[in-house]
Amino acid sequence: MTAFPVKDIRRYGVLYLFILPMLLIVVVFGIWPIAKSMQMSFTDKGTSLSLAPVYIGMKNYIKVFTDPYFWDSVWITAKFTVFSVPANVLAAFLLALMLGSRQIRTGSLFFKLAIFLPVVVPIVATSVIWKWMYNTDFGAVNAVLTSIGLPKWGGLSRSNTVLWSLGTVELWKHVGLYTIIFLTNLQLIDKEMYEAAFMEGAGYVKRIRFITIPELRPAFMLNFVYATIQFLKTFAVAMVMTQGGPNYASNFLSYYAYSKFRLAEYGQATAVGTFLFIIVLLTTLALRRLMRDRDEGSRS
Amino acid sequence: MNTLYSNRPVFRVLLYIAALTAAAIFIFPFIWMLASSFKTTKEILESPLTLISGNFTVKAYATLARVGGLPLSGYIWNSIGIVGLSTLLTVFVTSLGAYAIWRKPNMPLFGVLEKMFLLSIMYPYILLLMPVYVVMFRIGLLGSRLGIILFLTLGPIQYFLFREFFTKIPTALIESAQIDGAGEIQTFAKIVIPMASPVFFTVFLLTFILNWENWFPVLVISTSMKTYTLPVVLLNFDSQLEVNFPEIMALAAIVSLPVIIIFLFTQRRVIEGFAAGSVKG
Repeated sequence: MTAFPVKDIRRYGVLYLFILPMLLIVVVFGIWPIAKSMQMSFTDKGTSLSLAPVYIGMKNYIKVFTDPYFWDSVWITAKFTVFSVPANVLAAFLLALMLGSRQIRTGSLFFKLAIFLPVVVPIVATSVIWKWMYNTDFGAVNAVLTSIGLPKWGGLSRSNTVLWSLGTVELWKHVGLYTIIFLTNLQLIDKEMYEAAFMEGAGYVKRIRFITIPELRPAFMLNFVYATIQFLKTFAVAMVMTQGGPNYASNFLSYYAYSKFRLAEYGQATAVGTFLFIIVLLTTLALRRLMRDRDEGSRS
Repeated sequence: MNTLYSNRPVFRVLLYIAALTAAAIFIFPFIWMLASSFKTTKEILESPLTLISGNFTVKAYATLARVGGLPLSGYIWNSIGIVGLSTLLTVFVTSLGAYAIWRKPNMPLFGVLEKMFLLSIMYPYILLLMPVYVVMFRIGLLGSRLGIILFLTLGPIQYFLFREFFTKIPTALIESAQIDGAGEIQTFAKIVIPMASPVFFTVFLLTFILNWENWFPVLVISTSMKTYTLPVVLLNFDSQLEVNFPEIMALAAIVSLPVIIIFLFTQRRVIEGFAAGSVKG
């Protein structure tokens, strides 16, 4: 970065007025709270909010890291992310192939709107609807299952079905965005490649495998990174639908931190916050690097 | 063209069956919500799947006139006011910021601001709110609508959409205006804004939809139900034990329908905006 000439600062000084509102917002509601959060994670809970907090070193971190519920949360969050990310990316890819197909002309807008609709509807509303859809007495899910002769689904009420249920809702809610990202990229692929492949006798599956998938690699990577970040931070469904239950089975990391916050354990809550932030940051950086290396690899 | 590819009718029929099934799965929960909101509790227990109620009733909506001891209209005004003002403010703040950073990225502080912004939006939102609670308390905005409005201004997608658009403006255009004597403010107002009006509209729509949906900041910054917006009222209402089911679905419908309607009328812009904003983020 070259030094900025002083006379230019004077000349373009009015631009500082342009950034002033954004600077204020970012500092007051971004940087200050992040710094505050890190600071609070080293303070005693009773004094965290006071003007003269008592610092207790790493105690909050030690307390969190020795709490079996914390490691349960880490495990739940990791498991949920590892299953959900490929499921979402794959579902989005298949939906995009379907929507982008030349065979679907009539009604393609309708299908696109239907898949995107859950993305724009407030997550509290979709979560509340699904919570009741899973109700074992009169929910639609079990009504459909029993009507076609299948056994009842435990839904949110059992610890061995709750994560699958939430995973389904999360997919339903977010897959539309990933689908649109695939679809946008799908339309950028040069049609002549398909025509040439077709002339040479490549069937549908071959064309997908040797043209579509390689051409969509950037979109795959992008969706992968996006979905990973999103699922590591899973919160709303736990808050609205399960409160982390039953028996802590859906106690995701964010929800674990929030429960600490509700118990006024500010130090521990912010310690978990710092931990999750570092995880998200490292994952993002690692995935970004992976993406760059792959790109460079394919170019050389 | 079409004949070049697989045009076997079987394939086409299968594809349509798949697409219709998918669409049905994505839409069904909303239909079920609406259907249930017009039923009686007894009817829901007996036949949860019927979509057209035998004894259609709007009783659930009528009961919702007051929620939590306060009139529902108050929450509707909260939603409209908080979401409307925060949307305007977001558009104002991010467009100016993105423009200035694009215009002179090397000005002292500009690069730092962008880095601080990226850091803020990468911090898990839910966890950011815990210290924001403390900050709001310190600056005296805890429990106020102003606090909620200001916090909602921190929007990532908006910034990237503006940034992306501004990079397409030819620098020559701006320079020639400035040779003619226009200052930075005039250039922005007379040249950039008219050019950017489609992106302004897109950002406006997206921000409205996103802020309408945003609930956690409202929950954390509020100290009483007086400042709740509709999604938070729904959350609060749903977690009470004694409320009945058709009313919950009716309230969910009231929360969802405004955005569903806006989305259906502006779908192309909204979908493209979401896709573009996320790609750049």
